[in-house]
Amino acid sequence: MSDLLKRPAFIVLAVLALVGIGCWVYQLATGLAITGMSNANSWGLYIIMFMFFVGLSAGGLIVASSASVFHIERFKAVAMPAVILSTACICVAGMFVLVDLGSIQNIWRILAGPNFASPLLWDMCVIACYLIINILYLVFMSSKKEGAERKVAIISRFALPIAILVHSVTAWIFGLQIAKEGWYTAIMAPIFVASAMDSGLALLLCVLAGLNKSGRFKADKSLMSMLAGLLGTCIAVDAFFIGCELLTMAYPGAGGAEVLAIMAAGPVAPFFWFEIIGGLVVPFCILVFAKNRANIALVVTASALVVAGVFCKRVWLLLTAFAAPNLEGAPGIALGTFAAQEGGTAMWSVYGTYAPTFPEIMIAIGVVSVGAIIFWAIAQRLMLAKVPAAPVPAASQEGAATQAV
Amino acid sequence: MTRYGIAIDLHRCIGCQTCTLACKMQNNVPEGMLWNRVITEGSDILDGSVGTYPQLTRTYVPIACQHCENPACQRVCPTGATYKDDKGRTQIDYDKCIGCRMCMAACPYNARSFNWEDPKRDPDINYGDKDVPVRPRGVAEKCTLCKELTDKGEEPMCVQCCPGMARTFGDLDDPASSVSEKVRQSSARVLLPEQGTRPQVHYYN
Repeated sequence: MSDLLKRPAFIVLAVLALVGIGCWVYQLATGLAITGMSNANSWGLYIIMFMFFVGLSAGGLIVASSASVFHIERFKAVAMPAVILSTACICVAGMFVLVDLGSIQNIWRILAGPNFASPLLWDMCVIACYLIINILYLVFMSSKKEGAERKVAIISRFALPIAILVHSVTAWIFGLQIAKEGWYTAIMAPIFVASAMDSGLALLLCVLAGLNKSGRFKADKSLMSMLAGLLGTCIAVDAFFIGCELLTMAYPGAGGAEVLAIMAAGPVAPFFWFEIIGGLVVPFCILVFAKNRANIALVVTASALVVAGVFCKRVWLLLTAFAAPNLEGAPGIALGTFAAQEGGTAMWSVYGTYAPTFPEIMIAIGVVSVGAIIFWAIAQRLMLAKVPAAPVPAASQEGAATQAV
Repeated sequence: MTRYGIAIDLHRCIGCQTCTLACKMQNNVPEGMLWNRVITEGSDILDGSVGTYPQLTRTYVPIACQHCENPACQRVCPTGATYKDDKGRTQIDYDKCIGCRMCMAACPYNARSFNWEDPKRDPDINYGDKDVPVRPRGVAEKCTLCKELTDKGEEPMCVQCCPGMARTFGDLDDPASSVSEKVRQSSARVLLPEQGTRPQVHYYN
């Protein structure tokens, strides 16, 4: 651990984390008004990042647990980095929910008087279970005691359904809201599971490539090609679900088509089209050829595109729903912040606008940095130490960290 | 059971926003926020109209919390801070609110306001009714159907102050109440019926 402090990449992460914590303290002191959110657009970057990281967390645990559940021996080699990644990502997701709360001091009320009808409550329960299972998984995997392998096999049978459930429940936070035309669809949970599989697997591939480069961990090249093939399949499934959803929205030419117009030609259009082209079509076209899957650089490029594409997906999914209120007219919505009122009649705005502010972005970067530090610290302890001792140049270690971010 | 509600005669509404301000005063609503507002349907400017001259229409629709019988906001609240009270009103327990804003995403009517920062008032005093609780930063708030007044048997402030006498308040479960009569006789409609929220605020012409 102490040698970590000498690495420049680690210091950068630590500084970013500290800046983020500083901004969060500022947010606690002055309120969520320092973010770009308003009454018209009441969720923003934090919830986007929450959805994104819940998804990223999936791939790792699904690969690791299917190694045991379906006896895919070859996946076992990467189970350790996969579960560490999954643990770090779910911590990040949990932290994003916490920074989004307006009255975090009241959070104990969830335990004191839970409302079991709330999908948010289900999500908190299932994320807590998920985190515990991840930690147990790590403990059993790194244990050298007798019978540890059997324990891994048992826990993986719980891990796989919980991993799928955690993404479904996150989808239900949105998919069960009849008030939002863009969210209210039964296919939301399957889409979340599919995009969690592809983004999580893509991140795992990026991290494995980074770890390979660092020289301390050796993921077999043919295994990476195999995972890349699985990634290609997941992209295809994701694209199919999204296609079904878009067609169902567009075909009646009713309310759904209006929402689709906002996605395809409105303010969120750059995110929408990047996701469709850069996040689905291009990586699929790369990975569909076996020759490309053997080329690690191409696999990593495709993976990075998938991760970026799924991030864009989260952006347009969340923001489109807030773009047009159900009841339109002037004076529309009181935006709820004084800044909005300074423009005189702007307080009576028909629509709200949203763009993340500087402190909001710094908090988000800070949270992700904390996640990268968690990954690094656990990896250092459980994984990198295991491979005996080829001395490693400090610079190559950075690759792993930036990939993890 | 008592199930308080309001019936609003849209032909009598002149868009004067008196209810907006009466509500703001009564309920100590801070700057930048409104619990009640009168929208000009289909228009993007204040007091605008729809159509081309001389074929113009202008409809004012007063909007606040619809006190739904099937409230989407109450269903999603993780702590039970939003609840239906014994008089059929949808209420918020500010002490229980964690500020997650799930209710704001769930409400089809954009009826809720969030305290994004410390509430600021001009003049800088609590100008509301002394019985109305002052809300802290970081909680959601909305129309309470003037709980403090209606508990005493009075009418909500927006009903009392409406110069066009467009609003009728009362118990929807009592068939003899004037609000039930208005709803029955005028074939009143509710906003966004397709959302299945069964609002207790009715509109008629």
